[in-house]
Amino acid sequence: MSELRINNLGGPLKPEIGEGIKANQNSQGSFELFLNEAIGKLQQIQSDAEKAVKELATGGDITQAVIAMQKAELSFQLMVEVRNRLISAYEEIQRMQI
Amino acid sequence: MKTFGILHVVASSLEAQRHRMNTIVSNMANMNTTRTEAGGPYRRKDVLFEVKEIEAGNEILEGVQVREVVEDNSPFKIVYDPGHPDADERGFVQLPNVNPLEEMVNMMLAFRAYEASITAFNTTKTMFMKLLELGKT
Repeated sequence: MSELRINNLGGPLKPEIGEGIKANQNSQGSFELFLNEAIGKLQQIQSDAEKAVKELATGGDITQAVIAMQKAELSFQLMVEVRNRLISAYEEIQRMQI
Repeated sequence: MKTFGILHVVASSLEAQRHRMNTIVSNMANMNTTRTEAGGPYRRKDVLFEVKEIEAGNEILEGVQVREVVEDNSPFKIVYDPGHPDADERGFVQLPNVNPLEEMVNMMLAFRAYEASITAFNTTKTMFMKLLELGKT
């Protein structure tokens, strides 16, 4: 996963609104791309796990199947957590007074 | 993903120890076997491990794999038993060079190594789950 950086935390708070929106529009595509990529990877891992379990039925290796299942579980948890954080950020914005 | 490289190392270790366990079990099963396809009594077998490189993102982790199953060339046990069908003209029988005590100890070692890998896996999983909890109030 790519590193998340938080810059200018201690910087002066000058709300340059126009610039902020422009930056947002530029980065919108990349975040969407990242999300799509992450979901694609998750799907890949889950289908790997499914394949391993199917192979198990026809005499495949049990260790590989268990590991693939665990991998799928962990990546799914990660995805759920990312979703939870996104939803809570969205809710936070919804609660904002105008 | 980088985090999941560890899982493949654990898997390689589990497989290697299972393979080792298989040879130990065949040694124990053939403790008294005096006839083999190659002729003569059964020879004790042992596994030889080697490093297996596992790619995880941009780093290379070192797992383990069984290189080959080798035979133990130590001498056979010789027992005086004139009634045995495979006894020579002087009444001595050659029995496999398997020592049950040694096999039991090897079995425990294999099991402990297996257990250790599983503990390592569980700890890794707990660490990952803890990471997801970061920042939660």
